[in-house]
Amino acid sequence: MRPPKTGRGGGGSGGGRGLARGGGVSSTRGRGRGRESGRGRGPGRVKSRESESGGIKGGSKVLVTPHRHAGVFVAKSKADALVTKNLVPGEIIYNEKRIFVQNEDRSTVEYRVWNPHRSKLADAITTGVDNIWIKPGVKVLYLGASSGYTVSHVSDIVGPEGCVYAVEHSDICGKVLMNMAEKRTNVIPIIEDARDPAKYRMLVGMVDVIFSDVAQPDQAKILSLNASYFLKSGGHFMISIKANSIDSTIAAETVYQMEVEKLQMEELRPTEILHLDSCEEKHACVFGGYRLPRKQKADNAV
Amino acid sequence: MAMFLLSESSSGYLLLEVHGLDEIGQNTEAVRSSVSDLSRFGRVVQLIAFHPYQSALDALNQINAVSEGYMSDELRSFLELNLPKVKEGKKPKFSLGVSEPKIGSCIFEATKIPCQSNEFVHELLRGVRQHFDRFIKDLKPGDLEKAQLGLAHSYSRAKVKFNVNRVDNMVIQAIFLLDTLDKDINSFAMRVREWYSWHFPELVKIVNDNYLYARVSKIIVDKSKLSEEHVPMLTEILGDEDKAREVVEAGKASMGQDLSPVDLINVQSFAQRVMDLADYRKKLYDYLVTKMSDIAPNLASLIGEMVGARLISHAGSLTNLAKCPSSTLQILGAEKALFRALKTRGNTPKYGLIFHSSFISRASAKNKGRIARFLANKCSIASRIDCFSDSSTTAFGEKLREQVEERLDFYDKGVAPRKNVDVMKEVMENLEKKDEGEKTVEASEKKKKRKTEEKEEEKEEEKSKKKKKKSKVVEGEELTTENGHSKKKKKKTKSQDDE
Repeated sequence: MRPPKTGRGGGGSGGGRGLARGGGVSSTRGRGRGRESGRGRGPGRVKSRESESGGIKGGSKVLVTPHRHAGVFVAKSKADALVTKNLVPGEIIYNEKRIFVQNEDRSTVEYRVWNPHRSKLADAITTGVDNIWIKPGVKVLYLGASSGYTVSHVSDIVGPEGCVYAVEHSDICGKVLMNMAEKRTNVIPIIEDARDPAKYRMLVGMVDVIFSDVAQPDQAKILSLNASYFLKSGGHFMISIKANSIDSTIAAETVYQMEVEKLQMEELRPTEILHLDSCEEKHACVFGGYRLPRKQKADNAV
Repeated sequence: MAMFLLSESSSGYLLLEVHGLDEIGQNTEAVRSSVSDLSRFGRVVQLIAFHPYQSALDALNQINAVSEGYMSDELRSFLELNLPKVKEGKKPKFSLGVSEPKIGSCIFEATKIPCQSNEFVHELLRGVRQHFDRFIKDLKPGDLEKAQLGLAHSYSRAKVKFNVNRVDNMVIQAIFLLDTLDKDINSFAMRVREWYSWHFPELVKIVNDNYLYARVSKIIVDKSKLSEEHVPMLTEILGDEDKAREVVEAGKASMGQDLSPVDLINVQSFAQRVMDLADYRKKLYDYLVTKMSDIAPNLASLIGEMVGARLISHAGSLTNLAKCPSSTLQILGAEKALFRALKTRGNTPKYGLIFHSSFISRASAKNKGRIARFLANKCSIASRIDCFSDSSTTAFGEKLREQVEERLDFYDKGVAPRKNVDVMKEVMENLEKKDEGEKTVEASEKKKKRKTEEKEEEKEEEKSKKKKKKSKVVEGEELTTENGHSKKKKKKTKSQDDE
């Protein structure tokens, strides 16, 4: 595994000092160029032992621009990477790379790289989904939070006004999730089976978006039950379907159709079906709305 | 027919009354349209009573009861207080809507309040959840989330069996404090020496140790008052009568300045502080040792508490340490040298923090690297056992230590060490025997209480039979005991049966 975190902390302070010098240099050069980023963390990162972001080496010039989706950004250098703004500057969750950008007033903004190979939501964004419905200030119910990788990025996006209710059943992942949630106050960890929303009904308010990544054969039912408890009318959902975990004997397309039909019966109307073939195999993402008002149907070009 | 609603939230219980039932009827569609319109919904559903939880502990009890579907006493008193009384024998003219049927049946059994939980109720409760902050006027926008956050954390901790004693944070903090304390005590002690030397310069050369110096200076106070009477006391501190006499002699012929009593008092109090800090450091070290044996007993018995604690704090937590490969563990602490060597394609360091354990110094120069690698491998095993095993025993750590000793012998003399498989098997057997022994000891104690000696003799026979059986069946097959349970050998320490 990667070298330990506090070792990085030691390297980080060295990098921080280097950053001040580097920032000083680049800001004089870059004034004509608009937003210029500082160097990545110091010498320790040049070797870039994390290959997570695929191609971004520490110390290279990176330009960060907002993505079409609010709260998500794109870091452009030799290879593009999806990043989110770190809600807790200075903390990393699982050894992801960070990108530091210097503003004109010498303050640094920290971004964390989001790896589409590890996160289905990032995969969906890079594949080009229309609307993820998760933006700053919304409340998200996240089923199947696992160790909290994607949850941390969603928490970055929704920011301090929003909140993420992360439901995860397993103990081991739950411990990691809870450690992460202690640092981030907009993540509410719930170690409970998502099949039983009645059990955690005291902990969850009404949410705007439900994100489901549970990989269970009855996941449509899980989503619809949770939606009936917690998803507001006119809210949206995203469900990631792994064809093999529903039924590995029939073709993937058929599985997706079946799931979509099951969802439609429960008033979860899909608006987009995205095949994630770039990073995963036989996976699809379905985005949609819950109890959307009838008159929208005529306007929607679905 | 009046209808009430019970809504459970993170801040408390809510009881609401549903009006306008006639116009809505039991029509879920109508409810839905009213939910979306806040003012309409406010007329349909009105708050009757709100019962906030008394404390965080109370809230945790409530959520445990609610999630299991039981009715707690607080809920019962809340309902009985605020709902119309149910008269004996008469059918109540109201009903209570709840989220799920289980808690409804509990409430009905205990208090005879009729409950219903159907789609209609579900829609109404959705509305309540949506407009929650409107019902409770005192709550500010972020309050509900804070309550949810706190309650979720305590609920989840209980689920994950968060054990306070096995928190490795304490060790990390203690080690940092120990290092800081050492530095501070050293600088203060130097200060005492310098300060007191203004008065008595020769003492610095005679008494070298900082701690002893502070104590001696406290006893002497004013050097002009030094005499033979002080010799026994000084001997007690210094341990050497000659030195004590030297001190007294030097005191008489000292060339240092005299200090006023006020100055002397100041020096004394500072010297006292230094001594107190040194004592505290000792206590902190003992605390660290205890904590290490709580959270990582195998690691502590393998490489010692200090090195073990440093490794844990460097890695960030015991889990991080367990997750890293042993090659990383080997060079933890030598990152600067490592990356420099990687960049310049030189030789990478052979050891990091591990160097401070006693084994590396005992190996000859040629074998230091090999022993470091071997030790790092064993440390990885020990830390993984500590992190993920439920029981806490030092059996594995001790055996691993033996293995390292054997390996050292091998490099010295060529004595072939045992295979790891055999050593581990031995440990498992010892642990099982210990469990068995404890079990039969418990059982035999009970029997002594109730039955006669004959039974005791029978038990002894059984015990010896069991041990014989064990020695036969040693190849990891299933063991069947007298009472018919079968024990399988697992990879980790098993202690769930009786510990």
